[in-house]
Amino acid sequence: MRMTEPNETWGWPTEYDDVSGAVAICGVGESDHTKASGRTVPEIVGSAVERALDDAGLEPTDVDGLMHIPLPEQFDVAAFHAHFGTDHDMWESRAGGGMRWAATAPYEAAHALRDGKASIILNTFGVAWATQRSQMVGGPGQSHAQELFKQNLEIPMGWFPQPVYFATVARRHMYEFGTRQEDLGAVAVACRRHANLNPGAVMHEKTLSMEQYLDAPTIVAPFRKEDCCLISDGGAAYVMTTPERARDMSRPVVEVAGVGLGNSVTGAHWAQQPAFTSTPQVFAAPVAFAMAGIDPGDVDVYTCYDPFTIHTVMQIEDSGFCEKGGGGAFASSGALAYDSGVLPTNTHGGLLSHAYVLGIAHVVEVVRQLRGEAAAQVPDAEIGVYGGYTGPQASTLVLRRAP
Amino acid sequence: MRDRSAVMRTRQEFPLPDLAWEPTAEFWAGAARGELRIPRCDACGRLHWYPEPECRSCTGTAHTWETMSGRGTLFSWVVVTHAFLPQFADLTPFVPALVAIDEDPGVRVPTRMVDCEPDALDFGTEVRAVFRPLTFTGIDGSVAAPLFVPA
Repeated sequence: MRMTEPNETWGWPTEYDDVSGAVAICGVGESDHTKASGRTVPEIVGSAVERALDDAGLEPTDVDGLMHIPLPEQFDVAAFHAHFGTDHDMWESRAGGGMRWAATAPYEAAHALRDGKASIILNTFGVAWATQRSQMVGGPGQSHAQELFKQNLEIPMGWFPQPVYFATVARRHMYEFGTRQEDLGAVAVACRRHANLNPGAVMHEKTLSMEQYLDAPTIVAPFRKEDCCLISDGGAAYVMTTPERARDMSRPVVEVAGVGLGNSVTGAHWAQQPAFTSTPQVFAAPVAFAMAGIDPGDVDVYTCYDPFTIHTVMQIEDSGFCEKGGGGAFASSGALAYDSGVLPTNTHGGLLSHAYVLGIAHVVEVVRQLRGEAAAQVPDAEIGVYGGYTGPQASTLVLRRAP
Repeated sequence: MRDRSAVMRTRQEFPLPDLAWEPTAEFWAGAARGELRIPRCDACGRLHWYPEPECRSCTGTAHTWETMSGRGTLFSWVVVTHAFLPQFADLTPFVPALVAIDEDPGVRVPTRMVDCEPDALDFGTEVRAVFRPLTFTGIDGSVAAPLFVPA
């Protein structure tokens, strides 16, 4: 193994107190996921919220807490009231949304519930990047293009945007651990198979074989197009409350069992991250698993933020589902399959083949799996995990079907 | 109706660097003279890269720029055949890379490999800096940058 083992600490876990059993997810909903639709983000998220409230059996006026992320045009309290014609007081948090926040919003919500700030809390996220793409600088790379060190040291060299960053990581992972092109392909093919079973997935009708994957030209070698996530318009939402209240509602109760957050010392400048081929799941997952009182082997279904195939490989390793460096062989063994794998992974199709909703639909999928309502259902799934990622941070959310 | 509120405004010369931006101005001024310049933290004596306000090793806030040998090893690289920015259109195919410099292999310089066969590159390939003008499709002017060739 050629890994350049960092001789210094390259990250740390955020200290979290125990919120196991303090919050439940009682409703989930997604907008339609589409290619360029002409819809705005508030329209998209509004439709996801309507479906989440229907699922929970709640009215808009029942919602007294709203979480989102401070990106332009997100579904804030003003947008909520404009969408539903309401005007009641709401607790508002900007520590929600997708990516790593899709896992940690329940931690913030648990505190808000305990402190009496809110009793029914929505977390929402959406994008219209398929519609907006042509106007954005490097598409989803735009937020990176706005960062001045990247703008002045990376982009002039052509080291931009995300497909370039993470193809660089993937090539290094291949060198350090012997990961093969076919291993990355196994991730893409497994996700596509799951999407083919999921009518809500953007790639529902388009199949992908390993042969097709390998025959495709590279766009940023070693990545082919199918190593890269979709760009789509869509949103999702989930509703949180106390487990006590959730038991009085119509849906099967899914409780938060553990949450963890990991951080990298290099922040957004991951070109300099000492452990170049790792993610901060190294720090996040052990916290969440300890809080939940589980081992990685107890997990029945896993979803992880998968903007590129290499992220699934790395997060599986870094969360302890296999040894470091073994993620590629793990994927190639068939481990990710919903019906026969040891770790059914991204069973809705993931960012690669379901939709690019930046992780919030991954949480929705785990909830559906634990309720027994998923399109590609894992038999009798009881414990499900979402791994979130943003580059500077990674997060882990453990959900459990309540007995 | 199309919502334009998420759209970013860029400098006219983007993706050329902003030579006036203080934190990296010396990197580009050095490149114009044919020198690879990297700052060293005055407090802990380690190379301080990127030149962020605080040193990552010791949180020191003062640093002094030094001229490096320009020698290093290839840490990783990719071959870009799809232009992710319209300004990259005339560059493809090109080879963005991270080079670990000899003075401290933990310092990785984002760069491009030039004058090489991509298929012949390998991990640990010894490389050296050459100073070439960056130019982009549709953008006036150029800026000298440390690109790398096999040593």
